[in-house]
Amino acid sequence: MSWELFADPSLFRLAVAMAVPLVLASAGEVLMERGGILNVAVEGMVTLGAAAAFLAGFATGSTWVGFTAAAAAGVLVASVLAHYAVVWRQEQVTVGLTLYVLCLGLASLLYRVVVGVRLSPPRVETLQPVSLPVLSQVPVLGEVLFRQHALVYLSAAVVAAAHVLLFRTALGLRLRSVGENPVAADTVGVDVFRLRRAAAAAGGALVGLAGASLPFTLTGTFTEGIAGGRGWIALMLVIFGRWTPAGAAGGALLFAYVEALQFKLAMTSRAVPPQFLQMLPYLFAVAVLVRAYRGAQAPGALGKPYHREARA
Amino acid sequence: MTTGAAPRGGWQAAWPYAGALAIALAVLAGLVAALGGNASEALAGVFRAAFGTGAGLGQTLNKTTPLLLGSLAVVLGLRAGVFNIGVDGQIYAGAVAATGAAFLLADVPRAVALPGVLLAGLAGGAAWGLLPGLLRARMGVNEIFVTVMLNFVALFLVEYLSTGPWNDPTAGEAITRAIPPQATLPWLFARAGAHAGVLLALAAAGGVWLLLYRTVFGYELRATGDNPSAALVGGVPVARVVAVALVASGALAGLAGAVEVSGFHYRLILGLSPGYGMMAILIAVLSRRHPLLAVPAALGFAALLVGTDSLQRSVGLPASAVFVVQAALLLVLLAVEGVRRAR
Repeated sequence: MSWELFADPSLFRLAVAMAVPLVLASAGEVLMERGGILNVAVEGMVTLGAAAAFLAGFATGSTWVGFTAAAAAGVLVASVLAHYAVVWRQEQVTVGLTLYVLCLGLASLLYRVVVGVRLSPPRVETLQPVSLPVLSQVPVLGEVLFRQHALVYLSAAVVAAAHVLLFRTALGLRLRSVGENPVAADTVGVDVFRLRRAAAAAGGALVGLAGASLPFTLTGTFTEGIAGGRGWIALMLVIFGRWTPAGAAGGALLFAYVEALQFKLAMTSRAVPPQFLQMLPYLFAVAVLVRAYRGAQAPGALGKPYHREARA
Repeated sequence: MTTGAAPRGGWQAAWPYAGALAIALAVLAGLVAALGGNASEALAGVFRAAFGTGAGLGQTLNKTTPLLLGSLAVVLGLRAGVFNIGVDGQIYAGAVAATGAAFLLADVPRAVALPGVLLAGLAGGAAWGLLPGLLRARMGVNEIFVTVMLNFVALFLVEYLSTGPWNDPTAGEAITRAIPPQATLPWLFARAGAHAGVLLALAAAGGVWLLLYRTVFGYELRATGDNPSAALVGGVPVARVVAVALVASGALAGLAGAVEVSGFHYRLILGLSPGYGMMAILIAVLSRRHPLLAVPAALGFAALLVGTDSLQRSVGLPASAVFVVQAALLLVLLAVEGVRRAR
């Protein structure tokens, strides 16, 4: 095995493409957590988004309808979670885990109802790479960054937009204050409840889109285990990135690199059984997590319901 | 989830459960109708399949075993204030260890082999709970992530063993060779096909109850879960309690894996746990984190599982539909509780 494998431009190109679902899902989760809502249903929502996207795309033949369906599914589930968390003040991890199980069940149920039982699984067309003019001609970087499918560019735009929204606008400041100290935010007239629900809906749409990216860019099909832990990893990336969209995206690239490397190694190396290579990203995630927890400071009111009439 | 809600006794406490069950069954009927089946016939079929025949009852008891052990694992964690989402991985880890022990103990009598297999299952699950326990105790790493990641590691380990070194070459699929007969669990009701695992699970429920409510460690564990800072001030070694709770939680799940191997499949297979760990979380919440209330909840979920299995054959309801029904049941219950609180 040659060490050039680890720095191969095609490996970086694959890693950038594989980072898309992680970037979108973690950006969505950052928005929700900044507002104070902890959503542990991400893995389920990614799976449901993948199913909704695949089925809508399969039924209509339109990629756009697929993406819309996935985003809608994400908004719906996140809004249910937000209602339980904000209005009913239920424990968010409990509700989130229940929704996680519900989403997993719904995803394969919907698939079965729409597709039925077939000998060979139906496929949707995956997105083709779009070369950006001029930029794609830059040596190495052009191939890695600018000959990608449209979702890669969209993800970059989402991260930039989420960053500006959170840290450069009044709305972002209000959202962060709602997640940090809802009593103070309420005192100065910020609508804590509405802002939390809005952040949940926006985040849910992004998590749904993350799911849609799986069938439309990586697999072309839907299977029950399609999310493969990416939702959970997105949740960890939020901590890794210190609750910033850009930090989480950086972690996503790092993680996607290990994932892509595992693919390449499985193709070239026969010495190690493939299952042990497949374990690598998950063990890597645990190792990264240990590092990420050092000094991590979550939003002050994360996971805590806001009760106006309760004494502090 | 129990905080804030006024304690209610007797029938007043029971009606949300009855309502939630009714709505869950309505969801199930709706699913059957969506697949073109006859809803009322299907619901009757669910009850017949789960309770109506000796064999059905046997299957219900067999499914109760991993569900009860798994939910006890979750309950133990929740009482210490930690979420063990890795029950599935721990079930697989226990199953791997139990299968390995069964192969090693091929030449010894049952009186040695069977306890050896079960102990190996406990140890395998405990080993899977050790890493999240240590990371949580020493570095404050959230156990949810570590337990979930280890689920995937365990799955790939089982895939490797069942297709590789332990593979049964005559089977042509991802299953291992059968374990020797003296490593198998005896029957409880042979004609119904119910193995004795359910007795182990019931004993475990009693054991967890004793541990929680009749030992010093159980007191410290509950204190840690209820208010860790107060417990720490009161002299409870909070970090150690949490680590031990996660290891013990893993051991319970590992025992479930050993029972599945030695009582039901007689080998290690991929798909040994059809999401028992996820159902275990729902059961633990449903039973209000109480080890004895987990018994009826696990039995009910097992009946749903067996019943929907029969619908899989008759109307083609996919296996995953049971998740929808079970999660819907819990969501309704949480909503009822929430509405009461918001009022």
